[in-house]
Amino acid sequence: MAVLLPGFALALAQPGPAQPASEGDAVALHAEAKKIFGAQVTPFLKSYCIKCHGSRPKGGINFQATLKDPGSPAFRGWWKQGLANVKAHDMPPDDAENQPTPEERQMFLDWIGQIKFLSPQDPGQFVIRRLTKVEYGNTLHDLFGVDPAITRELPDEVFGQGYLNTLSPLQSEQYLEIANAVVDRVLAPDGAPPTAVQVRLFGGPLAPGTYARAAARAVGRSLTRSAYRRPPSEAELDVLVGVFDLGREHQLGHAAALGLMLKAILVSPQFLYITPSGEVPAGSTIVPLDDYQLASRLSYLLWATMPDAELAALADSGKLHEPAILKEQVRRLLHAPRSRALFDGFGAQWLGLGELETKTFDTDKFPLMTADMRSAMYDEARLFFESIVRENRSAVTFVDSDYTFLNGTLAQLYGLEKTVTGPAMRKVTLTDANRGGILGMPGILATTSFPNRTSAVKRGVWVLEQVLGEHVPPAPPNVPALQKEDDAQVGTLTLRQRTELHRTDPTCANCHKILDPIGFGLENFDAIGRWRDAEEAGGAIDATGELPGGKRFSSPKELKAIIAARQPDLARNLTEKLLAYALCRPLEGYDEIVVDRLMESIAKDDYRMQTLITEIVTSYPFTQRRVQ
Amino acid sequence: MSSNHLINRRTCLKGIGVALALPFFESLGWAEPAKKKAAKPPVRLGFMYMPHGVIMEQFWPASPESFLTSPPPALESLRTVLGECLLMKGISGVPISPFNGAPHALELSTWLTARLPDADRRSQIAIAISADQIAANYVGHLTSLPSLELATMPQTHKENQEGLNEGYYSHCSYRSASQAVPAETNPRSVLNRLFGRTDQAGQRSRPGQSTQTGALDRKMLDLVIGGAKDLRRTLPQGDQHKLDEYLDSVRSVERRIAAIEFRQKEAALEKAGVSVTKRYASDSPAIEIKIPLGDKRSDYMQVMCDLNVLAFQTDTTRVSTYIGSTPNGVSYPELGFKDTHHSQTHHASDAEKVRKVAAITAFNIEQFAYMIKKMQSIREGEGTLLDNSIMMWGSGLEDGNKHARENLPFIVAGRGGGTINTGRFLTDVRGNQGDLLTTLLGCAGVPLDRPIGIATKQITEMTHRV
Repeated sequence: MAVLLPGFALALAQPGPAQPASEGDAVALHAEAKKIFGAQVTPFLKSYCIKCHGSRPKGGINFQATLKDPGSPAFRGWWKQGLANVKAHDMPPDDAENQPTPEERQMFLDWIGQIKFLSPQDPGQFVIRRLTKVEYGNTLHDLFGVDPAITRELPDEVFGQGYLNTLSPLQSEQYLEIANAVVDRVLAPDGAPPTAVQVRLFGGPLAPGTYARAAARAVGRSLTRSAYRRPPSEAELDVLVGVFDLGREHQLGHAAALGLMLKAILVSPQFLYITPSGEVPAGSTIVPLDDYQLASRLSYLLWATMPDAELAALADSGKLHEPAILKEQVRRLLHAPRSRALFDGFGAQWLGLGELETKTFDTDKFPLMTADMRSAMYDEARLFFESIVRENRSAVTFVDSDYTFLNGTLAQLYGLEKTVTGPAMRKVTLTDANRGGILGMPGILATTSFPNRTSAVKRGVWVLEQVLGEHVPPAPPNVPALQKEDDAQVGTLTLRQRTELHRTDPTCANCHKILDPIGFGLENFDAIGRWRDAEEAGGAIDATGELPGGKRFSSPKELKAIIAARQPDLARNLTEKLLAYALCRPLEGYDEIVVDRLMESIAKDDYRMQTLITEIVTSYPFTQRRVQ
Repeated sequence: MSSNHLINRRTCLKGIGVALALPFFESLGWAEPAKKKAAKPPVRLGFMYMPHGVIMEQFWPASPESFLTSPPPALESLRTVLGECLLMKGISGVPISPFNGAPHALELSTWLTARLPDADRRSQIAIAISADQIAANYVGHLTSLPSLELATMPQTHKENQEGLNEGYYSHCSYRSASQAVPAETNPRSVLNRLFGRTDQAGQRSRPGQSTQTGALDRKMLDLVIGGAKDLRRTLPQGDQHKLDEYLDSVRSVERRIAAIEFRQKEAALEKAGVSVTKRYASDSPAIEIKIPLGDKRSDYMQVMCDLNVLAFQTDTTRVSTYIGSTPNGVSYPELGFKDTHHSQTHHASDAEKVRKVAAITAFNIEQFAYMIKKMQSIREGEGTLLDNSIMMWGSGLEDGNKHARENLPFIVAGRGGGTINTGRFLTDVRGNQGDLLTTLLGCAGVPLDRPIGIATKQITEMTHRV
């Protein structure tokens, strides 16, 4: 089972040596890590590892291949596994002839913490990105006032880090159909007076004495400035005027030919993707995002739509990339109601609430789980998230707060139905310290449960992965899940006792001794997040537990306090997850150094959310792109 | 992700639970270039998926002899059409090392590609073109849709085992190594896509209905493609690749419009009494598409199956995939099961869980049987639509309990236009998933540049000796 431990061990390992404060330090640290690799790590690998993990790699791990370029992101997974297994004394295996000395072992473990310094400064892979379904719908809304639901037939997509930035014939067909629908709404029927949108976009009827093509070109220029989110090139305008000509050749009137041009804009890659403005100089490898691209990246991150007039003007004036201006824009965007997109896109995914609407619950057991309840649960988390962001509170507030948002429906789960009534959500101060924060929030407690009962394991995994940013390996195959409650053999045990059976099996114990106690600490909350003192079978809830390092707790409140005290971990996790979301890719290599630096600034401001978000938006990988 | 995704879809289907009769077709036949000689009906290729494997003892027939008369419980629903089916034991899946912790991310994504993702680029989609898309590349230009992708659940499952891109979880179809093809989950959209929308007057209009609009759109797209190529030239290499995907997908829209135009011209000529291509008209009654209002999974899956059959019958496409269910997170309220399919498959021989997994398997095969029987009922040329099809049902795991992949469960139905020797159970086919796909594509008449994935040979036992 050695192989299953790596993520865990890594997650629990302490961060590497001191962070570089400057480029000079980074160079020195890079050189140091390289030197140690040559002088000590290479002999270590050759003596203890490469015999099995060489050119005929056992377990798919080939350390021979790492010798040339140990810092390559391709090897990151192997180093993680190596770290875990060497640390746990699982590797080299007991029956191997050569065993490293404790000092050698430690040297190897320390060095793995320094691998990140081998990564060259790099903003990471950058590829032009297609608008997501949501972004595309919002953008159409902003441009033409159409209902974003016009996109409903497009396939649903995962946002952010796991975004599938691809395009299929199906989507292209639908883009064309949607473009048709948009043009139909913009254009008045033949003979009818032009619609307001039509006048706004195309201008009035062609004035006598004006040239139709010149007018079309001017319309194209203004349409593309917003639809392409950057000024068009003359060549791009030539194409559009060509489309206008095509319409005229087919006997379309002026407005209808402009409609055809609009349709062409809406199926062009410049609209569907965020494309750079102009070419990069030959030979360059890393270039800053141009201001237009930056405006789009920022606006789609925080608002899930195209840049508004103010952002567009700043991009036009070439000032947006200036840190002070960029920071001010982040603040402005976050304070606007549209920044709820950050919750809908990122927050809900982070907290696992995306599935709340459709998750199955045993409604015989939980008749309260109505559609209204689900939507109140979602809104609670959303309003809570938004309050932390807009009020610029510390990221730690997510775990530890004394307020939440309730309506009459949701108040039933809190036992507050007498004081909070009616359908409107409102801010409520909490006196029960077991509540307040995501660990005691019904939506999250419900999505981390089974349809009919709680799962200490799922909750434990959720807290470790989503709150503390640790990686929990999947259970090995062929492990039975817990038996049903009526099983004679274990029927008399409480859920906790049965869950503890995991820990009698050495295969399971290593992970479950860390996972389960966290889940036990939340057992006072049932599968939809109501407080309970006893299990269904009648046994009293035992919410005591101990975390690695000997921290003991006996209630959700105490567990919450222990987790809230891990401020740097909470904040780092959130920073990493949001950065990956913002970049639409997983973090790797040099990103680790980037995050190290972000954390310094974020910590200085007590982990405040606006600072955290601003740091991400002004960070190296967010503002630069690799072009080779 | 969860179980009952139908709720969302229902909201947008509200109020349209009416039965929609099959829209009028200009012609029920298939288009082949006129110069080709009297066309044989084309071979259609369909794939339907269920995750997590089966209960082996209830899936494999007891013996080749008893196969037709006393089928195993899982195949009960196919009893009357077993003569049209071929079962083969001994097809192994792709070994998943070094992704040992990702059995479920890989069961669907390796199913039609028969290979593993690129380990060095695991966070992206980097796998291989899938068998259905290889076929679509060959025959897709002959129909208005190159291929049809259907799924029961949205493809938004969020889980990335072994650092693999989430997309691997819920996609089986890949247009290229880097392009996962999304599937449609809304029967109403599928209907629209196949046959056009209904306008207020109840008339169906399809994209490019009036030949003039279609032609104009096609010319417009030509210009847009020209512009996209200009843009492509100014971009770095990685971005150029994205533009290639864009160009590919837009060209396929153009081809689709062209195919529709072609059919419209033919229909017009036919109306005027001029027959351009020789065709075997289908004399079977039109299928009625009823879009279900309730939340019943079987109703929903059957309407997707109906649409699939209809698309084949009308030669709107010749290639389809249907992800009947997605790995992890799905439950079966219709069967009265509140746990997820996945959690039951780790049954450790627990009788109750085994019973549930068997019931879920039987349920999925029932939907497949529904589709097969419908295809058998449709006359086409000298035989049936099923005779001219190759329909493969299967799972990417043998047994969800141990994540085994040695003996993947597959059912091949249909005679592939006379190439497949059905009505048999082959007990010891020594081949792998790639071999199977390579053979099936061969039977469908799709020439291959190279074997699919890990394939090393054709499974000749499947086919008729020539």
